[in-house]
Amino acid sequence: MPGDFLDRYSRGGTICHRMSPRLKIILTVAVIVTCAFLPLSNWPLYGCLASLVFVALSLAEIPIAYLTRRLLLFLPLVLMTAIAVPLSRGFAGGWQTAGTVVIRAVVAFLAALWLVSTTPFDRLLAGLCRLGLPRLFAALLAFVYRYIHVLFDELARMRTAQRARTFKRPPGWRDWKGAVQLVGTLMIRALVRAERIHGAMCSRGWTGKMHSLD
Amino acid sequence: MSHAEVPILKVERLSYRYPTGQIALCDVSFQIGMREVVGLIGPNGAGKTTLLLHLNGLLMGTRLAPRRGETASVVESVSDGGGRFEAENIAAGNRVPVEVLGMPVIPENLPEVRRIVGILFQDPDDQLFCPTVGDDVAFGPLNLDFPRDEVLRRVGEALAAVGLSGFEGRSPQQLSFGEKRRVCLAGVLACEPNLLALDEPSSNLDPRARRGLIEILRNCPAAQIIASHDLELVAEQCSRVIVLDQGRIQADGPSREILADEKLMAKHGLEVPLSIQYNLKLSPAPH
Repeated sequence: MPGDFLDRYSRGGTICHRMSPRLKIILTVAVIVTCAFLPLSNWPLYGCLASLVFVALSLAEIPIAYLTRRLLLFLPLVLMTAIAVPLSRGFAGGWQTAGTVVIRAVVAFLAALWLVSTTPFDRLLAGLCRLGLPRLFAALLAFVYRYIHVLFDELARMRTAQRARTFKRPPGWRDWKGAVQLVGTLMIRALVRAERIHGAMCSRGWTGKMHSLD
Repeated sequence: MSHAEVPILKVERLSYRYPTGQIALCDVSFQIGMREVVGLIGPNGAGKTTLLLHLNGLLMGTRLAPRRGETASVVESVSDGGGRFEAENIAAGNRVPVEVLGMPVIPENLPEVRRIVGILFQDPDDQLFCPTVGDDVAFGPLNLDFPRDEVLRRVGEALAAVGLSGFEGRSPQQLSFGEKRRVCLAGVLACEPNLLALDEPSSNLDPRARRGLIEILRNCPAAQIIASHDLELVAEQCSRVIVLDQGRIQADGPSREILADEKLMAKHGLEVPLSIQYNLKLSPAPH
């Protein structure tokens, strides 16, 4: 997994990239909230919101192919939720509701994608902090962002090592067993690493309070 | 070291037992002088890393009773992993095994001890936990409660010292392994420690990065203790060497004598560095 899978286009130079992170966060949240509370009868407004997001995305020069790939990862989750609506509420009005769920989710998703694709993660966090996010919470997010890369690298290395000693494709259940073992090992390694990180933090004078340069 | 000055580090009869019951360090005593550069060598599992973790109180072992008993009783009195110094323990008699600049390493002194002793860990990913290089190098100075200007000055100077000026905005996953290690070192240097404890500083580095690291260490005025399997690095950099094996100090003396002792080296899973074997002229030790 490449190191920049979350915010590949976040270091561009377009007008969207130059906007203040705080403003972008407020805009994104506004779009998402409006989208979520807009009554079904006002459907033309959905179109407006969607085109607004598309304009923002094209201004940020984010490739369509990238957006499509991200959307394809996200859509199955939404579709599953959406399908549950007509199945549980009856088909009459159900399809309409399902359609709304999908549109709302996609617009919100694209808006969030615009935010993370135009703002480097550290600046995003700084913006969130200025908007009142507690420091500790920001630190937790920073740790997740930092170590998700390390953990994925570790997983990839373990997968490779496992495959290097897999001579023919094992029957299905053993394949699963191997995957489960990997996840278990990864969790133990993550735990041990967490302890080492804590040691490294204490070594540089950490006493439980997160400071920041901003 | 000259015996006139206060040692920066004094370890006396330090012993430590892992929570599993296995003995990691047994009766370890040594001192390090103000500007000394000491190598710490020994086979895998000798206790090198465990020893380094004691230098700033991340681990706290016990000090053996002053009487020299038989091995059995010595082993009995080694504390378990949870062994911390309680107040009454200290009141009962000075039983703190590690002293930094004459200050016992006990919980109350940890902030000061950790300012004086900087540890560079083996895996840069463990030490680079902030979203950007600048944040990471600033982590120590910020914890020391310096004003913003001073923090920025230290970040700039530390990054310049490791040759990475202008890297403040980079994120750690964009760096090469060698750059990561140097940023880690900058993070430690930014606290301006008086003693640098380095755990395998040259491991996994390509020759150029390794050479760069040696140059940085040479220019660093702090006393240093370098735990390493890179014996050429130790031969080049350290005036004195401590051999640790099975948790005990096996030898402690001038590096050229110890590193050239074929029997001693072989006995502890080491070997005489090629530069000494072939009598290559070593560049003079820097301190």
